[in-house]
Amino acid sequence: MLNVMLTGVGGQGTVLAAKVLAQAAQEKGWRVRTAETIGMAQRGGSVVSHVRMGNEGEEVYSPLIAKGTADIVVAFEPAEAARVLPYLSVTGVLVTATTAIQPVTAALSADPYKGAQVIRGLVEAFQDAPERLLVVPDEALLKRVGNRKALNTVLLASAIGTGRLPLTVDDLRDAVRACVKPAFVELNLQAIDVALG
Amino acid sequence: MKKLLMGNEAMAHAALEAGVRVVAGYPGTPSSEIVETVARLHAAGSAKGVHVEWSTNEKVALELLFGASLAGARGLFTCKQMGLNVASDALMSLNYVSVRGGLVLVVADDPGPISSQTEQDTRRFAAFAKVPVLDPATPEQAFDMVKVAFDLSERFHTPVIVRPTTRVDHASAFFEVAEQTEALPVPDEGFERDVSKWVIFPRRAFQAHGEINERLRAMAGAFSQEEPFASFNESFAMPQGQFDAATFGIVAGGISAAYAREALRMVAQRAEQAGLALPACRFMQVGTPYPFPHEAMARFSVGLSDVLVIEELDYVLEDELVKFAGRTHAAFNVHGKLTGDARDRGENDVDDIAARIERFLGLSGRLRLRRREMIERGEVVQGIEYPEADSLPVRPPVLCPGCPHRGSFYAVKQALRKTPAVLCGDIGCYTLGNAQPLDAVDTCLCMGAGVTMAQGFSVADPDKKAVAFIGDSTFFASGMTGLANAAYNGHDITVMVLDNATTAMTGSQPHPGTGQTLMGPKNEPLSIEGVLAANGFLHVYHANPLDKDASIVAAKAAIAFEGPSAVIFESPCIQLITPDAPVSVDAQKCTGCKKCITEIGCPGISFDPHAAGPNSGSRGQAVIDTALCNGCDLCVQVCPFKAIECPVSPEEGGQDA
Repeated sequence: MLNVMLTGVGGQGTVLAAKVLAQAAQEKGWRVRTAETIGMAQRGGSVVSHVRMGNEGEEVYSPLIAKGTADIVVAFEPAEAARVLPYLSVTGVLVTATTAIQPVTAALSADPYKGAQVIRGLVEAFQDAPERLLVVPDEALLKRVGNRKALNTVLLASAIGTGRLPLTVDDLRDAVRACVKPAFVELNLQAIDVALG
Repeated sequence: MKKLLMGNEAMAHAALEAGVRVVAGYPGTPSSEIVETVARLHAAGSAKGVHVEWSTNEKVALELLFGASLAGARGLFTCKQMGLNVASDALMSLNYVSVRGGLVLVVADDPGPISSQTEQDTRRFAAFAKVPVLDPATPEQAFDMVKVAFDLSERFHTPVIVRPTTRVDHASAFFEVAEQTEALPVPDEGFERDVSKWVIFPRRAFQAHGEINERLRAMAGAFSQEEPFASFNESFAMPQGQFDAATFGIVAGGISAAYAREALRMVAQRAEQAGLALPACRFMQVGTPYPFPHEAMARFSVGLSDVLVIEELDYVLEDELVKFAGRTHAAFNVHGKLTGDARDRGENDVDDIAARIERFLGLSGRLRLRRREMIERGEVVQGIEYPEADSLPVRPPVLCPGCPHRGSFYAVKQALRKTPAVLCGDIGCYTLGNAQPLDAVDTCLCMGAGVTMAQGFSVADPDKKAVAFIGDSTFFASGMTGLANAAYNGHDITVMVLDNATTAMTGSQPHPGTGQTLMGPKNEPLSIEGVLAANGFLHVYHANPLDKDASIVAAKAAIAFEGPSAVIFESPCIQLITPDAPVSVDAQKCTGCKKCITEIGCPGISFDPHAAGPNSGSRGQAVIDTALCNGCDLCVQVCPFKAIECPVSPEEGGQDA
């Protein structure tokens, strides 16, 4: 069983990333279940997409990932990475973007939230297993891609690049071609190259 | 080719494959995607012969469908759990009249609740209305259940409820679906007049009640014996082949059945790793909770000493098991919500259910002991913890950057200033006006209740100005009768209509005020002002909520009027429009006073304590997140130092195209 959790803030594009991953798994002939956060939380709240893949032919019952069982957590925002850490398995890998999204509540408070501080906390938490943490410099990469909307593909490509999932970069490219609107396929393929370049 | 479909999309496909002819509902999370999917397939030309619409509210939708059913058409109704409250008047009676063309109601429950006001359980509602209910555990089962529900409905002349929950509606799996569907034809004769049948009277109701009781008995039998229903109430034993040896039974319903199977597998693995034998147990999903499949339960429970019931929302299956045990003098104990052995509210999850199953099977003590031994031997790797998890920022949902509602709430608060007032909110995105710093919602109850609760305040607490907020879709759904009441009884209220030209919270559905229909043609939009006037609201003002000063003037004028008055704040939802270029902070002028943040709380504005300029000293300055800002310019008008500027010329577009 492979469990991939994608987390971020409403509007960041976790849903499409989950679809792409599910498509890649389907092509492998695995059983797949995914689950999304839809509704009020999409208005700037924390959102989580679950992708569960029965890569050894096993049945997948629950669409949601249990605590301590995620093989990869892909976080679109540092605080959201820290928030879902209890879901990561003891051998799981965390892939996180560095750019913070400031909630209004934090902007109103005297002590706004600092993304860099959370990243430092994560690096500290993983100090005995640094190979299980990948901090993605999303801002620089997306500048090279030329479009911030490609964040999801950049992160997915980075996750595939860790080698933690039995999926190849070509599997990802095929899934992008199958799931992304034709007008944006090139952009996303380019984002894969930038992320892994 | 197999397609990844959400449970809601799958149910739409199932209804179309079953030949549904009329589909109607009112948007509500987590149900909205069903009607949207039917509309999309109709627009694409692949769903032939179907009529699909967003009705003005749930009661309207169900009554319309009942008419279609009496004409012989198959009909699909969709809503969220509270939508059935609105449609309940129709449902209770139409069950007595009985249906002709198959009538299926997909009512989506929302354990948590995640996007709702209540945790009501539609399985209870079904039993109250004496209507059968099917309870899917997965999107695949939801697909199968919707399909078979039409046949069940026509065979027994009963409406049938299918009750998915959020995690079934919004979970996805791969499906093979028909590329083309065709609605079943309506019989040539259409509706056939029969006063003794289609017109409900007390004498007919008495007779019909007997028919209902009879068909419920027959359905309970079918649910135990006949396929495909019997497989919805499937059972098995763990370890395999140990059915007769088992004395423990686990009974689960809905998504909890999927969680419980996952949890059971997890417990079996943990027991194996710890070298413990898994006590033999049986598992059963009850997919047809009402009428309860007694015979299937009798087969399942024979010889059991204890049964653990896992379900969300109410203790429906638990009640049935207690009744079953009492009636049959069964020897088993029932454990569940009522005995404190299951969560009494909110969602279940695999972790919690696994822990409860371990306890139920008498494994938890020994598993804990083995784990401690393994930790001592260094065989258990601990998970990584984030050191300051409590300090992470919370993210309550907020109005989007550039949302016109922000301007409306701000204007009303500015117009009222120190005037004592009660601000009655309503259901929609604008419930989010409750958040700081707008803090402009004092009450919220149910669809349309802002307008009517305000009237109660005006009577009982006349020293406070009663102000009601209502969105445009809610206005048509359930605001109009409240307006008539205000004018009729002469209540002094001011209604703030927040018209953003869509049903925003549920994902931008059209409504009567837009005129846009799901069938394609655009009809003449209904005028909110016209409806207000027809309902006796003659003092009505208009304002663009993104024009701060004009909005405050309009709000002041309406509030000053004694009697029913209104302001229509008109500006489209930002999801519908192309954003303007983002504004920018002039570092030369910003004083770091934070007024832009503390007055309107836009997610597009944050504060950089290290930014500096001639007027801000060491206080820091406001910063605009150009990716979020959509150039609504409200902050430009709020800044007392003219430090936020609109771009001089339109920026080169296309960056976020």
